[in-house]
Amino acid sequence: MKTILKAALFGASLCTLMGSSALAQNATFVLGSREVGAPSYNPIKATRLNAANTFIYDRMVIQDADQSFHGQLATSWEAAADGMSWTFKLRPNVKFHDGEPFNAQTIVWWVPKFKGTENAFMTDAIDKVEVVDDLTVRFVMKTPDPNMLFNMASTFMGVPSPKAFDALGDRYGVAGAVGTGPFKLESFTVGQQTVLVRNDAYNSASALSANKGPAKIARLTIREIAEDSTAFLELRTGGVDMLMSVPTDFLPRLSAERGTKVMTLPGTEVYYMPMNTAVEPFTDIKVREAVAFAVNQKEILDSLFGGVGAVANTFLISGLAESKVDPKLMISYDPSRSRKALDEAGWVAGPDGIRAKGGVKLQVKLWTQNGTEFKRVTEVIQAQLKAVGIGADITIFDAATITAQYRRRTEHQLAVRVYSWANADILDWFHSGKRLGHPNHAMWNDPKSEELNEKAMKGSRTWDERVTNFRAYHEHLLSQFVFAPIYQPVQNFAFSEARLSMPAVIRGTRLQGQTVVDIEVKR
Amino acid sequence: MALFLIRRLLLLIPVFLAVSLVIFMIIRFVPGDPIDNLLQIGSTEEQKTAMIAAYGLDRALPVQYAIWLGKMLQGDLGEAIILRQPVSTLIAQNLPHSLILGSLALAFSTLVGIATGALAASFKDGWLDRLVMTLILLGSTLPSFWLGLLMILLFAVQLGWFPVSGARSWSALVLPVLTIGIGGVALVARVTRAAMIEIARKDFVTMLHAKGVPPLQIQLGHVLRHALLPVVTILSLRIGWVLGGAVTIEYVFARPGLGSLLITSLNQRDYPVVQGCLLMLAIAVILGTLIGDIVQAAMDPRLRETLR
Repeated sequence: MKTILKAALFGASLCTLMGSSALAQNATFVLGSREVGAPSYNPIKATRLNAANTFIYDRMVIQDADQSFHGQLATSWEAAADGMSWTFKLRPNVKFHDGEPFNAQTIVWWVPKFKGTENAFMTDAIDKVEVVDDLTVRFVMKTPDPNMLFNMASTFMGVPSPKAFDALGDRYGVAGAVGTGPFKLESFTVGQQTVLVRNDAYNSASALSANKGPAKIARLTIREIAEDSTAFLELRTGGVDMLMSVPTDFLPRLSAERGTKVMTLPGTEVYYMPMNTAVEPFTDIKVREAVAFAVNQKEILDSLFGGVGAVANTFLISGLAESKVDPKLMISYDPSRSRKALDEAGWVAGPDGIRAKGGVKLQVKLWTQNGTEFKRVTEVIQAQLKAVGIGADITIFDAATITAQYRRRTEHQLAVRVYSWANADILDWFHSGKRLGHPNHAMWNDPKSEELNEKAMKGSRTWDERVTNFRAYHEHLLSQFVFAPIYQPVQNFAFSEARLSMPAVIRGTRLQGQTVVDIEVKR
Repeated sequence: MALFLIRRLLLLIPVFLAVSLVIFMIIRFVPGDPIDNLLQIGSTEEQKTAMIAAYGLDRALPVQYAIWLGKMLQGDLGEAIILRQPVSTLIAQNLPHSLILGSLALAFSTLVGIATGALAASFKDGWLDRLVMTLILLGSTLPSFWLGLLMILLFAVQLGWFPVSGARSWSALVLPVLTIGIGGVALVARVTRAAMIEIARKDFVTMLHAKGVPPLQIQLGHVLRHALLPVVTILSLRIGWVLGGAVTIEYVFARPGLGSLLITSLNQRDYPVVQGCLLMLAIAVILGTLIGDIVQAAMDPRLRETLR
């Protein structure tokens, strides 16, 4: 009897020990609430991908926070002087999770797969892919594409295993996803969770990771929690180890929590306010100038966002070279300039503080979409406009309805919006005369802008030329006051210090696969 | 009873067709469309036109409706535009979670609601009645979103008895079931109490008292039994609500379910999914009403007579 008892006790303690050691290498991360519900891990066909894609897939190149590019599946690359071809050397000895080799044939199969998908524009400029040798490919271009590396670094450019992709057909990305990345997909339930296990054969880490071998975490559960308060309480009770994105208004509470550490990365978002240049009174550049200089960016940064992030004085995030415009063209709070512009345009202050001209009051529509941060920013802007004599009536729409309203072209006047993009071609997206209404909410259609845009988008052969051309286009837009820049958020993430040790420096534009291989679970 | 059932079932066909038409039109009358959610920064106007054609959104509305209805009658709810999966698969993934949560919450509110309602009615105007009714008033006025967060704070954060969120274990069901159930308890208890007080004034109850039947037996065996008729009506109407009405709770507790699927798809104007979800909810309401009618007819012979 005693022996049985001893054996049972031994067995039990062994189980506990094994359990705890297995537990020690497990981690649970929570995706940002905006990424909840991404429907698949199919980078070729999906239109929304969450951050965990970069744990499963490697890309040809990845981008650092300083906008420089680093090889991942490609080790080096070279563009022809005329921009009509790109040659990529591929990393040797890389295998997909299903054991298939990664080589030049993979790329020949991969690039044409984008045809007919929503992501086709990223490879549109490539005419064909030629195999130079087993580990070298050449992209023959239809037109020069100086944006090639940026496109190649996009999350949508994760390279899947041709065999698994073709075998699973339409179910690829939901029933299975096979890449060369540091983690293999074990299970995925849309909107709920993704379970990943370590790829022990991982050998394609980029220069942005300190650890060049397999990840330290053995099993990673990625949970999707739509409500930020719930995610915060999960972190607090130890239910999860990291929140991959935290709204700025949670920062004071998170920083006050013992054992929780908050880290930040430069942001990719800009809050801004387009002005509908096709309707009165914004057909008058003086009124646009007045609105642009009435927005007190510093006040919004300090009072609404607790000083976290940065003011926006141009349309682009500060990390982009194209945002380094002539300082004279930057838009930052100047109430006297704003009032002067309104005076010059003939708008005279009335008894209630709102200006008027020819019996018409300077009362405008100010739109935004639902969401606490949008509402707060819009209310502050309303007060700031009032201070210079512009009355604004706020209307709040849901995201789909506001888009439909913009398409009507003449219904809107001012709108508080945000975009997330780390490339200067966003200027074309929001200001090209071909997309009036939406996404060109400013309804901006001016010959000089179109010419500068065309030159930047299609007339640049090299990256440097592209930067120069986009800067010129950006400066022209700033000089015409078609929008008022507001705020640049940073990316915040929070983790349990007792459970995880993070690398001292987080590299890359976002918290992605290159950092996760360096994260260690504390025992 | 068989005739009653057949008539009642035949009535469902026009109701179903009308509901499907309303569902189809309503989402299309709302501004916005799914293509906006598919467009990537940088894509062209031609790609957009191609996409609209690919999903058949360029055809006339009656044609789109006929295609949808035809496929639906063959059991095909279509393919989600944004979520890129068959709608039936999405519903099959989410429906069980809603059913479990909903039926447990319904069972909880039925049992506790009837018990507290009966208790309050039996001690009418006494301190117990007042206490129960006050608690019930509180329960029915608390917003479930806030109540859910309070529950998490108390039972998951402070006491650590249950997980904060998720649907990974049975223990994760307790807090959402309680949160939804408490609202239902309030409703059921109020209806039970009111009905019992009304029945207790009837002549047959006075006669039972005169005959010397023990009060407890009168309350439970006669008054409560009669009072259950309106309660059954309320409960059957709640079946549909229980499936789709738990949206905020699913959101707070990060649980999957039909409600959250519907809201996500509605925000993205994913027409096929919205239609599929609304259809499921409509069917649940139709079936709930049907079950309610049948149960009532089974309980009350007078109803069968009137419908004959």
